[in-house]
Amino acid sequence: MPAETRVAIDRETDIVTARQKGRELAAACGFASTDQTLIALAISELARNIVVYAQRGEIIVKSEFGERRGIEIVARDQGPGILNVALALQDGYSTAKSLGLGLPGARRVMDEFEIDSAPGRGTTVTVRKWVR
Amino acid sequence: MREMGLTAQNIERRRNFVGLDSDDSKRIVRIQELVEGHLEELTSVFFAFLGGIDEARPLLGNRDIIEKVRLLKKEHLSEMVRGEYGTDYIEQRVRLAVVYSNAGLASRVFLGAYHHMLRALGVLVMKHSEHDPMAGFESYMSLKKVAFLDIGIIVDVIVFERERVIRQQQEAIRELSTPVLQIRERLLLLPIIGVIDTQRARLITDSLLRSIRANRARVVVVDVTGVATIDSKVANHLLQTVTAARLMGATAIVTGISSEVAQSLVGLGIDLVKFNTVGDLQGGIEEAERLIGYRVIQTTDNGAAEHMKEA
Repeated sequence: MPAETRVAIDRETDIVTARQKGRELAAACGFASTDQTLIALAISELARNIVVYAQRGEIIVKSEFGERRGIEIVARDQGPGILNVALALQDGYSTAKSLGLGLPGARRVMDEFEIDSAPGRGTTVTVRKWVR
Repeated sequence: MREMGLTAQNIERRRNFVGLDSDDSKRIVRIQELVEGHLEELTSVFFAFLGGIDEARPLLGNRDIIEKVRLLKKEHLSEMVRGEYGTDYIEQRVRLAVVYSNAGLASRVFLGAYHHMLRALGVLVMKHSEHDPMAGFESYMSLKKVAFLDIGIIVDVIVFERERVIRQQQEAIRELSTPVLQIRERLLLLPIIGVIDTQRARLITDSLLRSIRANRARVVVVDVTGVATIDSKVANHLLQTVTAARLMGATAIVTGISSEVAQSLVGLGIDLVKFNTVGDLQGGIEEAERLIGYRVIQTTDNGAAEHMKEA
């Protein structure tokens, strides 16, 4: 049965909540333990970016049971947006003195990755992973 | 105020939530004089409602509190129609809400009393707006926005105060949950369990570095068996802790990285070379002992002797 969970993100503890919900949904979807962890990891990175750069936003986790079983995560905020998306997707680039691996890392551990961001318009990141 | 995140920016956001703007202030000021003239009567409606229900007994049973609350309520009403809804106004709302909360007044009870008072206020305004009922209605609708701003604050304070106990307990657990243990002379063990957030990471680093100094430690075994998810932030904390330990002359060995966590770290592209890792805690301690120069030898007790005979 397809399911959807929304978690409002505006403080650090919300990251853990979002991560746990994502892991639950991934387990219900039939993902193996390692993939559950990688999905939780992607949620963690995307939610962390919301807290650090936009202060608040939301994470939507959807399980899909169409032709392919899988999970979709949408991280949305109305923060300052990303000035240079290509740069933000490079390993080691960060404007917040962090490792700069969150966004490229989330992209690597998931199967599909889309980003829509521009200064002043906020950021929406959509990632998907399919059950193998 | 600061604890609750009630900054000037947050207050403006709250005003935007209820749609309160300068036009509303103008409309409200039009009924200021009328309301000021009926403060006593209107606050009485509030307390008459509370007087009729059991749940309000903790508040009304105490004479000292009731006097204070009556005064604050009158002040509230009078400030409500003054047209200024900035930091000062919100500060007053928080102060009154803390009194309610300490007296154990539930938000549903407060809401009932507040609703009755607002209704009486509405009737009063409409009675005095016979010449221009539309203007009276508009003033009242603007005032209702202020009322919802108030309710937002008061409910948040009541919830916040209730959660204070939980937060204090969490703090206590957090303190307990980062022990640095000495296993042998100059060998420390740091078991990390659960979720690592920024504050806890700082605490872990602090207590580890202090213990390294106090015990003149050479090797530290950091065990992360109990950490389910390591994201880039947590990995960064770990890296920094390991680097800081190295600067103080101690080698750090990270143990207990599960297969899931290992794949996460690879996925993130974290340079694992910087971590001195050993599969499990036992292996980590053995490696640490070897580094310091200990040799652990099994003594031939009865159990071991039996075993040897069989072989």
